[in-house]
Amino acid sequence: MSLLSETFLLLRKDLLLELRRRDSLLTMFFFGTLLLFVFHFSFDLPPDKVAEMTPALLWLAFLFTGTLGLAQLFNAERENHCLDALLLSPLDRGALFLAKTSFNLILMVLVEIVVIPLFWILFNLNSWNLLPQLFLVTFLGTVGFCVLGTIMAAITLKARARELLLPLILFPLMIPIILATIRCMENVLRTGELGDALPWLRLLLGFDVIFLTLGVLIFDWVIES
Amino acid sequence: MRLSIDKLSKAYGFLWALRDIHLELQSGQLVALLGPNGAGKTTLLKLFAGLILPTAGSIQLDGATFAPGALDLRRKVGLLSPADHLYENLTVSENLRFFASLYRRRHSPAALVQTLESVNLGPRRDDYVANLSSGMKCRLSIAKWQLLQPELLLLDEPYGVLDGSGVDLLEGFLRAHCAGGGVVIMASHHVSRVLQLCSHALILHQGRLTFNEAKQQPWPSFDRAFSEFLPHGGS
Repeated sequence: MSLLSETFLLLRKDLLLELRRRDSLLTMFFFGTLLLFVFHFSFDLPPDKVAEMTPALLWLAFLFTGTLGLAQLFNAERENHCLDALLLSPLDRGALFLAKTSFNLILMVLVEIVVIPLFWILFNLNSWNLLPQLFLVTFLGTVGFCVLGTIMAAITLKARARELLLPLILFPLMIPIILATIRCMENVLRTGELGDALPWLRLLLGFDVIFLTLGVLIFDWVIES
Repeated sequence: MRLSIDKLSKAYGFLWALRDIHLELQSGQLVALLGPNGAGKTTLLKLFAGLILPTAGSIQLDGATFAPGALDLRRKVGLLSPADHLYENLTVSENLRFFASLYRRRHSPAALVQTLESVNLGPRRDDYVANLSSGMKCRLSIAKWQLLQPELLLLDEPYGVLDGSGVDLLEGFLRAHCAGGGVVIMASHHVSRVLQLCSHALILHQGRLTFNEAKQQPWPSFDRAFSEFLPHGGS
């Protein structure tokens, strides 16, 4: 069985379990929405500050929401020692990494599809025509978050205070992604195009490709040690 | 199939869980792994299963060394841990299909149903595993390893959750597995049951292999070793 078919098998299983339990998606969705309302009532942004401030607020919501999802990423494997059952099998550990990353990415994208338009409405952003570019930037940032987050979630899997440890080691490593995504979004909101933010977009792409490759290569060591 | 263990040791920090284990096992052997609590039985099973790495020494299966990345070897090893290693929110048949795909074993739906019937879980095939009792989960684990057909089957205390017919089912499966050329290593505290079934016994004590013999009738050397290390054990 190839890496991709193993990935698909595991992803299918994770989606089926999520469809039955719905705990990760619902928690992430409600938490993300709640944060937007908190930001909405806390900040009264002047129009000239909107482009500067909103990307950071939006990414703050994604970071917290995504971390909530990452903390539950291996819940199904913790039950009944199912992770041991997977590690006992001839499964390529890279497939486990790709499946968990894809699963988390699907959850995050579903949450973003609801949260971003809601954010636009709450903060009276009229630039609806910019949404496709912003979705592209957000997607690349989310891929980076999920790739790195899956590696860190696996590293902290057996730690006692994993829910506390995960953001502590993940957030500093996320700085390049957050910075690049926020700069790209800010540029799009200010000028209506990516233009000057292209180097940041390249950084984002490079980060995604490097960590995705690294994850596939080192995940056996990460998950088995 | 040939399993060779050479100078196998495992330490957790400064604590040696296993020291210098040497062992050779051949096809068809059903091995009882005995010893008091904390003797290192589960650690040894986990090493055989490749779930933990040895601190020193090696495990070879048919001449190939167990190492991280030796994925083809993993298809040859199974670990039956009663009521474990099953997804609670998948149904009985979904669990079997998932693990069969993971081990690249192709089975027709009819074969899957037949396997479930053989462990008396046919009528429960669409039930979630979460709704099964511990004994039924153990029966499902038996069905799982019947389908996956590993060459080396490891069992960690399988008797605790099974009723009488479940025990008969398990023992029938293990005998058939050995008759087919497989090797079974079973850690258990149900000494009398295991001794009836096994062809070979190992006793671990404080991380060292203190007894390693094929079964005899009578077996005075086993009685001596057993009474020395398990003075209060039931037999």
